[in-house]
Amino acid sequence: MSVTVPIAMDLSWRYASGAALARFCAGLRERRLEALQCDSCGRRYLPPRPVCGDCRRPMERWAPVRDEGALAAWTIVHVPILDGRTGLPRPTPYGMGLVHLDGADTTVNHYVELAGATELRIGARVRAVWRTELRGAMDDIEHFEVIR
Amino acid sequence: MRRVAIVGTGQTRHARRRDDVSQPELVREAATAALRDAGIGPGRLDAVLLSNMELFEGRVMPELWVGEGAFAGGLPCMKIATGGTSGTSTAIAAFHQVASGLFDVALVVGFEKHSEGHTQTGMALTDPFWDRGVASGALGNFALSISQYVAERGVTPEQAARVAVKARRNAALNPYAHLRMADLTVDDVLESRMLAEPIRLLDMCPQSDGACALVVAAEGVAQRLCPRPAWVRAAVTRHDQPYLGDHDRRLLTMRSLRDAAKTAYAQAGVSDPLTDLDVAEIYEPVTYAELAWYEALGFCPEGEAGRLIDEGVTELGGQLPVNPSGGVLSSNPVGASGVIRVAEAARQIHGRAGAHQVPDVDLALATGYGVYSWADAIVLGAAA
Repeated sequence: MSVTVPIAMDLSWRYASGAALARFCAGLRERRLEALQCDSCGRRYLPPRPVCGDCRRPMERWAPVRDEGALAAWTIVHVPILDGRTGLPRPTPYGMGLVHLDGADTTVNHYVELAGATELRIGARVRAVWRTELRGAMDDIEHFEVIR
Repeated sequence: MRRVAIVGTGQTRHARRRDDVSQPELVREAATAALRDAGIGPGRLDAVLLSNMELFEGRVMPELWVGEGAFAGGLPCMKIATGGTSGTSTAIAAFHQVASGLFDVALVVGFEKHSEGHTQTGMALTDPFWDRGVASGALGNFALSISQYVAERGVTPEQAARVAVKARRNAALNPYAHLRMADLTVDDVLESRMLAEPIRLLDMCPQSDGACALVVAAEGVAQRLCPRPAWVRAAVTRHDQPYLGDHDRRLLTMRSLRDAAKTAYAQAGVSDPLTDLDVAEIYEPVTYAELAWYEALGFCPEGEAGRLIDEGVTELGGQLPVNPSGGVLSSNPVGASGVIRVAEAARQIHGRAGAHQVPDVDLALATGYGVYSWADAIVLGAAA
């Protein structure tokens, strides 16, 4: 037997970012991307974090990252996945990619414009499409588009 | 440290919905079956360990609520939650507790009732600063990694579909399995709905309601409870960096699983997994991942996973049967899925696997895969 319990909740969260991500988010307001680089292995991390996961050493050196790079992976999603920012399913289909931004050694998971779906391939050059109103969050970048 | 063995296993029927039982009742169904298999009553238990991803059901402190279903009243009881590895990590924690001499007999129960919760909501609550605004769920993340794997290895949709067919046909022999499809064909998989390119509906694991339990016992006790105990020869768990983009070519490199397997093989004296192991129960949430794991687990050289599935090497009658139970592709109650891998590996050694029993199993592998940041490898043997 099953009984349905109707519960509706309207919640909001307040998270502390830590100093490294606070600087990164402040940079987003000026369309500036920065990675933290490990002095030991040289790896440039996005998201920036205070300690290198491989070397376990503190990182303090900031490295500039461009808002364009190359697709390291891609897919087209056909099922409506819940958007964690809005709580609503995202309209389908939409493109997703891992973007290897110039100047970083890790990749960024983000939306990729579908208009050029046939151009989606590993290695394709893409650039960030920024929103007009910047609020210092990762979705200040609306999506990436293939550079034609 | 003392030697440790699995002396009993039990699981529920896994299904899309188990409305006939509450969560504690589901847990009790598996716990009771495992105790019966071990031939003991709950009075013999010294500790209980639970595995569950509570955000999926949206019920806080499940160990408080369902602990009683696992006979935990008056006993030490804890819960472990590490995504897909929850079940294997909980089994490993129980091995450690018993090996240390703290307890003689421990009960492990993993469970999930996806039908009662909001799995996608749970999966969406990732890092609020970095990837919460980028919604693609487990499916999109897998698809991204798979695009790299396919590009480098040349694995075809047909080869992935063969993995799906193997899993669901094996599941047809397993009365506990969720997706039992004896007549599934490669064409059926290739014609199923596209979810996230190149993953089709039948490439992906289901969401199941189900529970699975293990009775873990110390040497001395184990031989009295079980005629052929499944001895823990190695149990290794690895964590790794947190973000999807942290790992270059993640499915290809899969360093957490490679390292866990390499260490476990060294501990268990496995030099060539393909010939030394008699059966493997691996955590394959999607068909393409099973192919990638063949390489990460050393079943074949890099780039030859497609050949392995084409030649039937991992079929029930092949050289190394992989997931004779039907695997995660056929039953996936997440908190239970890792426990099921260990239970199925143990059942093969016990000789109690029923219609999907592989003949003469002396050495069995079980693995866990948690998001992209955990991997577990467990080797069980008929000899201590």
